[in-house]
Formats: sequence, C-alpha cells, structure tokens
Amino acid sequence: MADVNYIQATRVYAKDAPPAVDALDLDIKDGEFMVLVGPSGSGKTTALRMLAGLEPLDGGRVEIGDKDVTFVSPKDRDIAMVFQNYALYPSKTVAENMAFALKMQKVPKEERDRRVREAARLLDLDEKLLDRKPKALSGGQRQRVAMGRAIVREPRVFLMDEPLSNLDAKLRVQTRSQIAELQRRLGITTVYVTHDQVEAMTMGNRVAVLAGGKLQQCDTPRQLYDNPVNQFVAGFIGSPAMNLQTVPLADGGVRLAGIVLPLPNAVTTAASRAGLSELVLGIRPEHMHLADGTGELTGEVVLVEDLGADALLHVRLAGESNQVVARAEGRTPPAPGQQVTFHVRPEDTFAFNPGTGARLAG
Amino acid sequence: MAVTDASAVAAPETRVRPRGASRKDAWQRRLPLLPALIYTIVVTQIPFLVTLWYSFQNYFFDTPGGAHWTGLSNYKQVFSSAAFRSALLRTVEMTVSAVLVAMVLGVVFALLLDRKFIGRGVVRTLIITPFLIMPAAAALLWAGPMLDPNFGLLNYLLQPFGVHHVAWLSTHALGSVIVVMIWQWTPFMTLIVLAGLQSQPSDTLEAAKVDGAGALATFRELTLPHLRPYIELGILLGSVYLVNVFDAVRLMTDGGPGTTTTNLPFYLYEQVNNAFDVGGAAAAGVVTVILTIIVATFALRLFARVFQFEGAN
Amino acid sequence: MSGTIGWGVVAWVVGIAFFLPVLWMVLTAFKPESAAETWPPKFTFSPTLAEFRLVFSGWGPYVTHSAIATVASTALVLVLGVPAAYALSVHPVKRWRDGLFFFISTKMLPIVAAIGPLYVIALKAHLLDSIWVLIILYTAMNLPLAIWMIRSFMLEVPGEMLEAAELDGAGRTREMTEVILPVISPGLISTALICVIFAWNELFLALNLTVTNAATLPMFLISSVPQEGLYIAHLSAAATVASVPVVLVGWIAQRSLVRGLSMGAIK
Repeated sequence: MADVNYIQATRVYAKDAPPAVDALDLDIKDGEFMVLVGPSGSGKTTALRMLAGLEPLDGGRVEIGDKDVTFVSPKDRDIAMVFQNYALYPSKTVAENMAFALKMQKVPKEERDRRVREAARLLDLDEKLLDRKPKALSGGQRQRVAMGRAIVREPRVFLMDEPLSNLDAKLRVQTRSQIAELQRRLGITTVYVTHDQVEAMTMGNRVAVLAGGKLQQCDTPRQLYDNPVNQFVAGFIGSPAMNLQTVPLADGGVRLAGIVLPLPNAVTTAASRAGLSELVLGIRPEHMHLADGTGELTGEVVLVEDLGADALLHVRLAGESNQVVARAEGRTPPAPGQQVTFHVRPEDTFAFNPGTGARLAG
Repeated sequence: MAVTDASAVAAPETRVRPRGASRKDAWQRRLPLLPALIYTIVVTQIPFLVTLWYSFQNYFFDTPGGAHWTGLSNYKQVFSSAAFRSALLRTVEMTVSAVLVAMVLGVVFALLLDRKFIGRGVVRTLIITPFLIMPAAAALLWAGPMLDPNFGLLNYLLQPFGVHHVAWLSTHALGSVIVVMIWQWTPFMTLIVLAGLQSQPSDTLEAAKVDGAGALATFRELTLPHLRPYIELGILLGSVYLVNVFDAVRLMTDGGPGTTTTNLPFYLYEQVNNAFDVGGAAAAGVVTVILTIIVATFALRLFARVFQFEGAN
Repeated sequence: MSGTIGWGVVAWVVGIAFFLPVLWMVLTAFKPESAAETWPPKFTFSPTLAEFRLVFSGWGPYVTHSAIATVASTALVLVLGVPAAYALSVHPVKRWRDGLFFFISTKMLPIVAAIGPLYVIALKAHLLDSIWVLIILYTAMNLPLAIWMIRSFMLEVPGEMLEAAELDGAGRTREMTEVILPVISPGLISTALICVIFAWNELFLALNLTVTNAATLPMFLISSVPQEGLYIAHLSAAATVASVPVVLVGWIAQRSLVRGLSMGAIK
C-alpha cells in the first residue's frame, strides 16, 4: 500500500515535438482509485508506463511511497500491471501465468499455488481453467487471468491500461463494477487509464483529465461534472456532451437565438475584466428545460433520438447555425419540424474564455 | 496463444468456399491444378520409376549389350557395400553437425540482430550474404583462397595461435566441408529465428519485465518456448537441403581424402560417372529414397505442428 | 541502456567476421596472380582488372545458358504454379491437402538418387547437353516451392475482396486477373526471386547432364580451376562475377528471402 506522486514528470519523444507528457504534477493517495482519462494522444498511457518503469522520464520524477523510483527498474517497484491486450504468456498455463512473478521472486511452490487459487476464487475463475493455455480461453476469461496475474502479486500499486477496451459492451459494464468492488475490497492504490469517460466517472475516486500531455483537472467525478475548470473538461465529461458555442457578449449576458440570455454577475464582470467581446457558452443538455411556449430560447427540432426513458432533441435555435442537444422526457417528445422553446437558468450555465479555454468565474 | 504463434509458422488453412457438389464445379476446380500436377508427375515420377526399373538391371555404360535383368543383386550389393554404408554414415554426420551448429549460431545471430543498433541493416546484409554466394563459388573460395596450406587466409589469421600452414583439406577434410556448409546455412537459420523473435508480442515481454523476470529468465521462460516452432522448422528444412549437399564435396575434396568426405549424393555421382554403373546407382538411389521417406515421415510426425495438415487452429 | 552499445559492437564484429571470406574473395579478384599466391597473403597490392577481363572474355556462352535456363524455368514455374496455387487455396479441390503433400514430397526426395536413369532418359530423348533438359528439370525443382509460396500469398487476399468481386459479376478469370494477381504481385516477385536464386546456383544437374552446349555458369567456375598453374586470382574473379547477380537480388529482396526459404510458412 503506498501513495504515488508524479512531480513535474515529463516525457519527450522527438526533439522538436511537443512533450507526450508535459510536467505532470499528480498526487495519488494511498488506497485511492485514480483514473487517468483523455482522448488518444493525451499522454495518459505514457504517464502510466512512466509509473511502471516501461518509459524513461526526460524530466521530473516519480515517487512510490515517498521513495523516488524514477531510475528503479520495473521489477523492483513492487507494482503489477494489467495490459490492454492482456499480454498473457502464450506458452504457459493460466496457473503458470498467474504464478510467474511469484516464481521470479522465488516464492515456494505451495505458497504460489495457494495464492493462485485464492486469486482465481476472488475473480470467479473456474479452477478447471487453471490448466488451460490462454488460447483456449474467451476474451472475458483472459481478462480475468490478466487481473489475476496482477492480484496474486499483492503489490503496492495496481496499474491498469484500458483493461476493458477489448470486451464487448455488456461484458464491459459487468466487469467495470467487478473491478471497482475488487479494488475497494483489496484497498490497493490503483492507477487506471481509459479513454471512456463513463468508465472514469463510475469507477474513480478521483479522475485526472489529460489532454495534449497536460493535466487539465484532477477532481472527484462530481466536481468534474459540476465545476469543470476549462472548456476541454466541460466538453469531455458528460454524455451527451455539453453544448458549447461561441456567443457575443450583450448587456448583462450573451446574445443567443435572437435574445439576450442573462448570465450571473460574476461571469459578466470576469468577462469585461478580461476585455472579451465574446465568450464560449456551455449548457448541459439536461439544463435545457423544454417549456410549453414560455421559454426564452426558441428553435426547431431537427432530430429526435428516442432512448426509451429519455429523448435527445437536436434543435436548431432561432438565428443560429449550430445545433444544440437537449434532454427531454421520453414518453411524449416533440416531433421533428416542431417549434419548441427552452428555459435555461443562468446559474446552470458555464462560460469560458474563447482564447484560453479557462472557465470564467467558476 | 501457443498455436497463434505457430500459426504464423504453419501452412495456413484453406479458405473453404463450398460451391455445391456439381461435377462441373469439381472439374472447374481441378483444371488449374492439372498442368502443374501432370508436369510434376511426368518429370519426377517417371525418372523414379525408371530408376526403380534399372535397379533390377545389370547396366554398365562402358559395357556393350545394354541392360539385362538381374533381380535383387544390385540391392544385395548396396547393402553389403561398405562404401554405401560409409556414405550413409557420412551424410548423417555432416547433416546433423551442420544443422545443429548452424541453428545454434542462427539463434545467437538472431538475438544480436533483434536489438536496435547503428547499422543494424548493414550487419544483417553482411550476415545473409554467405547464403547467397553460389555454392560452387563458396566451395572453391574456401578450397583456394581461404584454406590453401601455402597462401590461404585462414592459416594467416591463425598464426598468432600457433597454427602453421595446416593443409586443412587433407588433415581436416570433413571438418572443412562441414564448416563451409555451416557458413552457407547459418544465415538461413538466422533469418527464420529472427522472424520468430520479431513475431513475439512486445507487451508479453513488458509484462515479464514488470513481473520481475531478468533477461536470462525471460529468454528461458518465454522466448525459447515461443521460438520452438521456428527452430523446428529451421531444422527440418535445413536438413532437407543439407542432406543433398554436393557442390562443396565435389569441389573441395572430391569426396576424399579416400572417402572421408563422401556423402550419399557424391557416392551416387561417382557410381554413375566413374563406375558407369547405372544399375548399381539406381539401386543405391532407391534405397536412399526409401530411407529418406522413412526419416521424412518420422520427422514430419515429430514436427507435425509446423506444417499443420490436420485442421485449423 | 548501457548494454546496447556493447551488443552493437559484438554484432558488428560478428557480421564482419562472417562476411570476411566474401570480402577476401572480392579483394583477391583484383589481384594479379603473382600477388594472389603469396605468403603472407597480401592486403595491399596494385589492383588490376586483368582477371576480370579474362573472365568476361570466356564466360559468354555460360552466362547465356544460365540466363536462359533461369529465366525460362522461372517463367514456366509461374505459369504452372499460379493456377495450381489457386486450385489449392482460393477455390480448392476437394483433396487439396493430398495435392500439397504430393508437391512437397517431390522436394523432399533427393534428385541425386535418380541421376543415373535421368542421364539415360536424357540421352535417349536427345536432350543431353541441351538447354531444354535444364529448363525442364529446374522447373520441376522449383515448382513445389513456388506453389507453396504463391498459395500462402493467395490465402492472404481478404475474403471480402473476393466476395465483392463475385457480387460485381466477376468470373474466375476476371477474379484472377483483376483481383488476385494485382494483390499478390509483390509475392509473385519474391517467389520469382527465390526460383532465380536456386536455378542460377544449381550445379549437380548441370554437371551431369550438360557438357558444352548448355553448360552453365557454375560449370564455368569449375573450369576456371586448371590442372596446374596459378589460378587463385582468376578463380576469385570468376567466383565474384558468378555470385554478383544473386547477391544483389538477395540484398534487395531480403524480406522475401525469409518467406521463400520457409516455403511461405513464415510471413
């Protein structure tokens, strides 16, 4: 059990290219489930591999349990890793796969077998599978063997590189909760990489959002959702995504769909102090409340996606070229072509500096 | 994933396209195969049948009167011939030593070439070249410029080690021939093993690193099992080619001194060219073929995985 | 990683040591005979092209025969092999396994065993010392290899591509010319290269079945070793010239080599 710290950790691949990981500062508490999330190329996998010792650092350092491990080889860091494609040893049986690290540590055979059986039990892996080779297993079984190989180690830190991405959707949802529960039970510090923000939101104690090698925000899922610090995080977290649009400032608010939408004072003050004439307005789909003709924003429904419980309305607001997405009740959604109105509360909106992307008065 | 490794090595399964069992369809499928099939049968089986026929004949080129039936006497002679047995033994000796040494060197060279370093491509090209040299040229090259007792390069290079003007082709004839075989076939083994090394998934090696395996442990526990089908393929194919080595024997030592380097191909050549004994050579040839079939069947069964005739992965 | 430079050096040493005989051969080819047979062996000397000139003045018929036998047999191999491979992969005959096994079995059986009768057959068919006997036999020698290789290439053509062509109305000929051949053309080239290498280098059959009218380059090489007199430099020049084509081909097509040598088993 240990905490993990990235201190100004940097990784550069090509000399003149931007860093893959740019001066990352991240503190992960002992026993925490930390998710690194971001689009591909954001540096999340590189950051994980730096922690594993599979990528060298070009700047800064990495600490595990207050000890600087930047130049320590992977096998001496007391970590275990679950790889995206599982990386099971093809010539070995499931039991041998799981016991391999222990064998390297010269753990005696009975102890190895005991720990393997226990890990198999924890993961709901049938004992009969222990003597099979990976090629004879299904994708879901292989995934569990990969997890088992990590658990058996009883390491200080678990590293997981998109372990669910090769599973089909249903299995993914099922395994997601199993992993989260397992981690709670074992209490081992876990760093988990994914590109799927739903996984991030449901599994992590805290989530670190990365983009372009830089940490955007590290917070609890709730905070990320309610208080994104910049436009990227706001647009990345939440599904369907937040509606973002550049709008001109007007008296006490912004001009949208032919009217002036009032914004909180703090926002307008921050905008004028920054000398802005326009800003990026963000409204989450569920904050666009369908109003029976009384709403201040008018528009025409272009497409209705009926999801059963909810419906997603794609609406073209009056005088705007972009479309926005609004969430409505599923049973009686409006029809395409229909004119609708929406009510938005000023305190539900988000505003971002169009140049820097930073949140205005958050 | 063991078979997934070996499947990269196996003869791939056919793409089965069932198209109804009509006779027309069956003939349409057969037609493209026929030219090659008929050609091969005519050019390879007919000579074999003729060989079989002649093996029961007494037929010497230099004797007038042509061929006449002699039953099994040629075979009796082959089996009682010390020269044939010696040639057989020599063939086994030469093939086994050359194949094993070439494979060991091949693994070493492949390991060296698997890492990145400056000029890796150039080194690889240098290592493959001996295989591309015309075997006749290689044989003459080693016989003359390399191994000559009076002005060969090898004697010069070994001088600091106290070696003086050794007549390699006289005193170490068999070794010299085997060295040339190894020199020419190590690249073959190297390339096959290298293909095996490069097909090993890199994340498995990283997992081993994280699991605490050092370089030696990783090689022993992961790489060698992965390489097994490739090594088997190399040994199998290398043996098939090396059993038939002729150029080096003929051009370096002419089978000598005496018969110390006479292998089966050379023995058969001598029977035809020096003894003009077509009947005897034919019988020896038939015995050789039968022996080859036995060994090949045995080897194929041993290495069945490599050619995966039975079903898919 | 500190180990990397060390291994690189070892690799270079090994590479150069292994290549040394070839280097020596080429070096010696530029020596005058007087400088070639010396003790200690000379590393510096005044180079001459005399031996090469000798080689080129004598090699005419031999290289022509080699070229004809090689090119003709390789072409014939492709003409026979492509349809056969097709019948063993894309639209297989019912007993394709047996067919494949038959072809490989001909490769496994030593040609040396039949040399006496082959000689007699060639004699009686008036093919002795004719370029045709070489073309015929080289084709048979390379055909199994080629069929295995081409078959492995054809199996890589995506099934969907063939199905799309079928839906577009392509018959079997069209399928072959418009879909399969273009896709496997690099594979055909590597197959051809392997056939060229084996045919060009072949000695045993040429030695036994030809004398002068169809004598090939390997035999020219043998003739460059006289019964007596100095010959080392001349031999080296002949060996160098004889080997250059195949070495160049092999250098250029390195990746194809692996595939060819393992009969298509290794990609």
